[in-house]
Amino acid sequence: MNKAWKGKLLRVDLTEGTCKVEALNEEWANDFIGGRGLGSKYFTEEVSPEVEPMSPENNLIMATGPLTGTYGAANGRYMVITKSPLTGTIACSNSGGYFPSELKYAGFDMIIFEGKSEHPVYLQIRDGKAELVGAVHLWGMSTNDTEDAILSEFHGDAKVASIGLAGEVGVHFAGIINDKHRAAGRSGVGMVMGSKNLKAVAVRGTGGVKIANPKAYREAALDTYATLKENPVTGEGLPALGTAVLVNVMNQNGGLPTRNAQSGTFEAAEDISGEALVSGELRRIKSCMGCIISCGRVTKITDPRYVGEGEGPEYETLWALGAACGISDMPAIIKANYYCNEYGMDPITLGSTIGCAMEMFEKGIISEEEIGMSLNFGDGDAMVKLTEMTGKGEGFGKKIGLGSYRLADSYGVPELSMSVKKLEFPAYDPRHVQGMGLGYATSNRGACHVRGYINSAETLGLPEKLDPEATEGKAGVLKVFQDYTAAIDSAGVCLFTTFAMGIPQLANFCNAANGTDLNDAGILEIGDRIYNLERMFNLKAGIDPSQDKLPKRMLEEPLPDGPSKGNVSKLPEMLPDYYEVRGWGSDGIPTEEKLQSLGLA
Amino acid sequence: MIKIQFFSLVRLLIKQEATEVPWVEGETVQSVLDKTQAQIATPFLHKLLNEEGVAHTGTIILVNRKNILHLNGLKTPIADDDVLAFFPPGAGG
Ligand code: SF4
Repeated sequence: MNKAWKGKLLRVDLTEGTCKVEALNEEWANDFIGGRGLGSKYFTEEVSPEVEPMSPENNLIMATGPLTGTYGAANGRYMVITKSPLTGTIACSNSGGYFPSELKYAGFDMIIFEGKSEHPVYLQIRDGKAELVGAVHLWGMSTNDTEDAILSEFHGDAKVASIGLAGEVGVHFAGIINDKHRAAGRSGVGMVMGSKNLKAVAVRGTGGVKIANPKAYREAALDTYATLKENPVTGEGLPALGTAVLVNVMNQNGGLPTRNAQSGTFEAAEDISGEALVSGELRRIKSCMGCIISCGRVTKITDPRYVGEGEGPEYETLWALGAACGISDMPAIIKANYYCNEYGMDPITLGSTIGCAMEMFEKGIISEEEIGMSLNFGDGDAMVKLTEMTGKGEGFGKKIGLGSYRLADSYGVPELSMSVKKLEFPAYDPRHVQGMGLGYATSNRGACHVRGYINSAETLGLPEKLDPEATEGKAGVLKVFQDYTAAIDSAGVCLFTTFAMGIPQLANFCNAANGTDLNDAGILEIGDRIYNLERMFNLKAGIDPSQDKLPKRMLEEPLPDGPSKGNVSKLPEMLPDYYEVRGWGSDGIPTEEKLQSLGLA
Repeated sequence: MIKIQFFSLVRLLIKQEATEVPWVEGETVQSVLDKTQAQIATPFLHKLLNEEGVAHTGTIILVNRKNILHLNGLKTPIADDDVLAFFPPGAGG
């Protein structure tokens, strides 16, 4: 019977310079779906948790899901799995665009990179065949230029994922950029790619994706298509305003962390809002492969200081390079976002680290001399300059490139880093949205919003409204968000579909595509299995449960403003509940019984 | 006076960021919504409420920055000088 998995993975030994095709482990594919789950299974089977992230022994996996490259919703994602140099945890960064589907069309579910090449190389894949070719001439180039050069020398219709200068010079939060503007952004996966001397992966594929039950698949696709089109969020809100709609939402609700999370509202939020982008720099909207939501923003800046064209910014970027730094200068934010794509860096960690440095500067912990300029909150020009220096690994930019935890720790003030497990938290203040704080503390890659977006319920009222300030019951709801997300990531579907699409619809897709027989509980069980697999890797890597915490500021400094004024995070109240609903011991360690029930013992 | 702020698709639709309506005794969110609509030429209430007049899943209406779903819904009483914010369903990440 046909299945949506291609049934093949490509193993690339960079030390030896070889590419081998292997059969995909079907049993694992059934147990973990694909993408994040299956990639993590391969990774944890093959790499020691103690591995040094920048050593040749650390593998880098690019994994698609069975639904990647199919139609019906937003089915075009891939994930990069490795051990993170920023956090020391297992990393899994997710991206859309066109590259992921092309990998399937070229005949592969997954690529596993091992070892380290002696010289810069890139991988060319063309319909089932792969070879490593020299990339000395591409080393040092931006992701834009790299892609253009590869298209002209390899194939004009190829899809490309590459690192920019940030991945080469060791920025701890370097990402991998595909299709010029889409990023596997967080946790420093681009730094690992750079450490292997791997500049890019270029793919041309002309095959398709076969599915087990085409009639049932068509029904599932039509059903989801109608759901996404009719839903006001996915059918109208995201296309019109993009994710940037959240700037005003979170600010009005009092959960927009401002000036390194010293407050929860930003007086100039309107200037950096989705509404401002629509009336200013937005030129048109854009989709990833086969996506009917179209949250992508094509923008242009014509400010005399900064000119340029590109894509974005997203909500997270507007917050990180905006409110987190007290900056209301939209052209500066957009320019820095373009730099993030061109140098290949995560704007969340970048903005949060610059915000942290601004607080340190204003408190006299870092001097103007050391930075090479003054660095006050609100200074957009300084932020753009520092972004460029970070991408190039120059001057004080080298220190920013370490991320906020290492930066603040090196000055003896680690508490000024707004991070968990050394990953900077995103644009939701956990003193306002209590469940998000629990999510940051328990996410397997450090503080993150796309590992369990309970803000959807706490602020946005989707699928139903929860009181953001309440703690009771949050652990159980968060677990469902986390497990459903793990399954969505594994299937190869964009997380944004889940604002409208429920678990039964994902099960229908998976079953029709793969001939499986999953129900809602089965989908969530796979999510739970993935979550526990990642957790076990982290525990063995030395990230113990004492790291399930939040920055001191969140726990001890009450919000000074907004409707949640006076609140701190009530994480200590929620964490024991969370361990219990996860079926873990009160020490936060998965019990033998739990692991056995998931087939992980 | 009651201050009204429009966001997201409502703002794009009516091309207006804010307005004010006079306050009277017994005012509720519902009465303010009706008054505001009467004062604005372009119909916008459908972006916030369904045909039965119930807020869509995901609609956010704030009174002095507190979500009415945690107050008394559309019946939440409104005092003079209160600030209301209207957001149709929206999301991101
Ligand atoms: S919703 Fe946005 S990020 Fe997701 S697939 Fe569509 S365009 Fe890409």
